[in-house]
Amino acid sequence: MNVIFGAVVIISVAVLIIKNPENVLSAMLSGGEKALTLSLKLVFIYAVWMGIFELLENTGLSKKIAKLLRPANRLLFGELPEKANDFISLNVSANILGISGATTPMGIKAIAELDKHKKTDYAVTMFFVINATSVQIIPSSVLALRSQMNSANPSDIILPTILATLLSTIIGILLVKIFVKKK
Amino acid sequence: MFAYFIPVLFLVVLIYSVIKKVKPYDAFTLGAKKAVPFAVSIFPCLVSIFVLTELFEISGLSDAFTTALSPVFSFLGIPDELTKLVLIKPFSGSGSLALLSEIFTTYGVDSYLARCACVIYGSSETVFYIAAVYFAGNKKRNLTVPIIISLIASFFSCVFACFICKIM
Repeated sequence: MNVIFGAVVIISVAVLIIKNPENVLSAMLSGGEKALTLSLKLVFIYAVWMGIFELLENTGLSKKIAKLLRPANRLLFGELPEKANDFISLNVSANILGISGATTPMGIKAIAELDKHKKTDYAVTMFFVINATSVQIIPSSVLALRSQMNSANPSDIILPTILATLLSTIIGILLVKIFVKKK
Repeated sequence: MFAYFIPVLFLVVLIYSVIKKVKPYDAFTLGAKKAVPFAVSIFPCLVSIFVLTELFEISGLSDAFTTALSPVFSFLGIPDELTKLVLIKPFSGSGSLALLSEIFTTYGVDSYLARCACVIYGSSETVFYIAAVYFAGNKKRNLTVPIIISLIASFFSCVFACFICKIM
């Protein structure tokens, strides 16, 4: 992240100093403003979903979901600490269902949990790649936009999208399996 | 069909919590309370990512990249009009959604380009955003390998998207 951030910011600012220096600060501030707008949105989205998750945890339903997904998780991530397995299961289920507000809190908790243990590089990499390549089944934001714009058949992109996202996830999983060592 | 899914999920969870004698109000409030420090903790990462994307966009760097990479992309079957979307997608979710609706209005919502753009948009996530947010609490991890793997995988799905939209 540091390399990318450094490189992009240095080059962009250098170019802007030559082209139009007055845009540098305004661009950075507008970036900050967008971040704040998004954060405010995230507060209430997370509040609702984390409320639901608290119920899931207190009733023991999350443990049941985790138990159900444990064999699949073991196949992908190797042996996992129990708590990490819980969070990963909830994150993956939310991902598949396309509940983007719910994936991030569980994802961060899963990684924080894995950080407490040693030799979890493989599991963390696999988990990140699965999240980054998206396993969403229904592309709901795209569907909403298409029907808003009066598409003749908004849902005709569902199948291609599922195939494409499946492919990206499978390629990602294979690359992790090939290039990252299980310690 | 999908409209029922989330409400039914909530209903089941709430009924189950009553059966299990978990206090629904207390539990829900406790969870909601945790959301605030949570959003605060990822705010700094969001600022950095958004500053990065704004500068990338305004400096013309993103346009320069688009022009430079277009020939390579079209060789792989990605139309010139979609190069920018492929490039923006890993950085900014809102930016690529805006681009998507722009493509809809310019080329028509049911055109090949628009459908292809939809599949590209839906096939991967905002890689750098996820990297920044998920690893907000940990500076020690080296993210180079996971980021590169994710970008390669996403790129392949873009190529695949352009191909499959021709036949489906």
